[in-house]
Amino acid sequence: MPVRREVLGGLAAFGVLPAAGWADVGQPAWVSGARDAAGRFVLVGLGADLRERFRVRLPDRGHAAAAHPYLPHVVAFARRPGKFALVIDCRTGETLGELTAGEGRHFYGHGVFSADGAWLFMTGNDYEAARGVIELRAVAEDYRLVAEFSSGGIGPHDISLLPDGTLAIANGGIETHPDSGRTKLNLATMRPNLTYLSQGGEVLEQVELPGDLRLNSVRHLAVDRAGQVGFAMQWQGDPVAGTPLLGVHRRGETPRLLSAPAAEQRLMQGYAGSIAFDSPGRVAITSPRGARMHIFDLVRGELDAILAAQDICGVARSGQGGLVYTTGMGIVGDLAGNSYQFADLQFDNHLIAL
Amino acid sequence: MNRIFSAALAATLMFGSPSSAQDLAPVVADVVDHHVLPRVSGFVGAAAALYDTARSECQADGPQLQGRFHAAFDAWTGMSHLRFGPTETGDRAFAIAFWPDSRGVTPRALRDLLQDEDPALRDPLAFQEVSIAARGLYALEFLLFDAELSAFGSDEARCALVQAIARDVAGNAAQIDQDWRSRRADLLKHPGPGAPYTTDAEAAQELFKALGTGLQFTADTRLGRPIGTFDRPRPTRAEARRSGRSLRQVELSVASARDLALRLAAGNLQLVGDLTVAFDRVDQAAARIEDPVFAGVSDVQGRLRVEALQQRINEARALIAEQLGPELGVSAGFNSLDGD
Repeated sequence: MPVRREVLGGLAAFGVLPAAGWADVGQPAWVSGARDAAGRFVLVGLGADLRERFRVRLPDRGHAAAAHPYLPHVVAFARRPGKFALVIDCRTGETLGELTAGEGRHFYGHGVFSADGAWLFMTGNDYEAARGVIELRAVAEDYRLVAEFSSGGIGPHDISLLPDGTLAIANGGIETHPDSGRTKLNLATMRPNLTYLSQGGEVLEQVELPGDLRLNSVRHLAVDRAGQVGFAMQWQGDPVAGTPLLGVHRRGETPRLLSAPAAEQRLMQGYAGSIAFDSPGRVAITSPRGARMHIFDLVRGELDAILAAQDICGVARSGQGGLVYTTGMGIVGDLAGNSYQFADLQFDNHLIAL
Repeated sequence: MNRIFSAALAATLMFGSPSSAQDLAPVVADVVDHHVLPRVSGFVGAAAALYDTARSECQADGPQLQGRFHAAFDAWTGMSHLRFGPTETGDRAFAIAFWPDSRGVTPRALRDLLQDEDPALRDPLAFQEVSIAARGLYALEFLLFDAELSAFGSDEARCALVQAIARDVAGNAAQIDQDWRSRRADLLKHPGPGAPYTTDAEAAQELFKALGTGLQFTADTRLGRPIGTFDRPRPTRAEARRSGRSLRQVELSVASARDLALRLAAGNLQLVGDLTVAFDRVDQAAARIEDPVFAGVSDVQGRLRVEALQQRINEARALIAEQLGPELGVSAGFNSLDGD
């Protein structure tokens, strides 16, 4: 189904900001995938008051989403190895179009818009070749696929935009093939990396952790205003090993790994699900398996706070520079102690700030 | 670190607090003593016997060598779900079992070693540094059963490589056994503050995860890879098909999963009964498959039978996740069970 031309045509023709933006939907501050009480998968918009602003049905389980910088478009991505992404108009809840992965490709569940709103970049898998790809889609041409380039590794998962327009890609390193479900096919040889690409697909820099950490799948990303990249990892070895799950990196430097004291670090169960920076200079990672969020002070390089919540996974920055989290138990809350319990929703992996 | 919050409305069930009042210490001890350690011992013995035989009989068609190969492969498969701790240190399990080999690296790596008459063939320490794809039971299978590789290069080089692999497997098996006996068994049976497992529930959950991951591997990989898609079945992706073991791999791994599941469920007789029924169905579906290497996935009838087996395993998995998990205090969390 193509995206409706009348919505996007104006953008292409006039190149100006549309009058109708996010304000029309009661200013949602975040979106998240979720499952409702009937087992249906939805995308939910949440306001700054932590209450629901809208709910849109998805064809299958979603993963992350990307918000257009000024159009009221949010693109909800299928969980891997899904092949759909929905462009949703949040003013009406209407599905404007569905993007489908090409022949021999599936999506990984993440994507990001360029700052000018002209392009959408999505991570994908060329699975017969076990080659990670970035799909480039033109927003003004109904999100038409206009180019595809290498992600710089196997299993690209999250993708983020630096303030200078550089793309950061978490190549998780794990080969999968839709024929084998979500089975990891190459644990014996995996080598994840963090890759920086130009918007044209040129590799600008690649960061690999030392060999003894090669089982640490670099999976999710956050970028602070200065362009520092935080990366959250999922350890494929012994979950009680207490391996670091968080790194921060500035272009051209050596990555810095952050870890809680050993006993606390082990409680993360080798798994970090989401990552976000806050404004005071901290970075948070969540572990649904360990039912906790770790918040690190970046100046001191130490664990600053722990938040315990069952099945916590989503975390994102709030408008005030704080952090907001979601859980599979239907809770959305902030660090000031405000929270709201949804009776009929389980929030999925990621909370996306708009 | 200076602050610990608890989410306002989330003071409910946390990981590590089972929903039932069941005392999990005896459950964990039973699994360690009667499920894990006998399997680990069995593998050490079979791997040592394989190496012992390979030293005197290294030709691919040696009848005793092939028998020892199958016995070692059987023993490994019976513990191939225990992928944590001792098996993961130093990539031991990968060095024993490099599969799936989605890019066909194993035959290439073996050809390179044989062609170059690599000095590592006769140097056990150096052999530990060769490509992980050229080590272990799946590499040995190529040398013993593959038409091309069982005759590739010189007899001397092949003999040395068979012996090097057998010695390497036996060495890894011995180290896994040593780690289990000297440390990991106690860690699981005696959890405590500051230890890797702080409670009996955490120890039980480690074993529960091994059960789930092992069955998922059997359904998705051992069966899913040859099943492929309807338009493109992939019989040549069947596990250990050259030695005719593909179906046997499934049967052995399911038998181990049954044993582990029933021990973990021991406190709940109703669940023991339900699990027995579910695993009996798996066995019945396996018994209907006469083709040991799943070559039949390419025809409709054969395919249905292999798919039915996969389906029965997935039903057992669902029962385990929904019924056994809560017995052991594994939160059935949307994200914790199935994140990405």
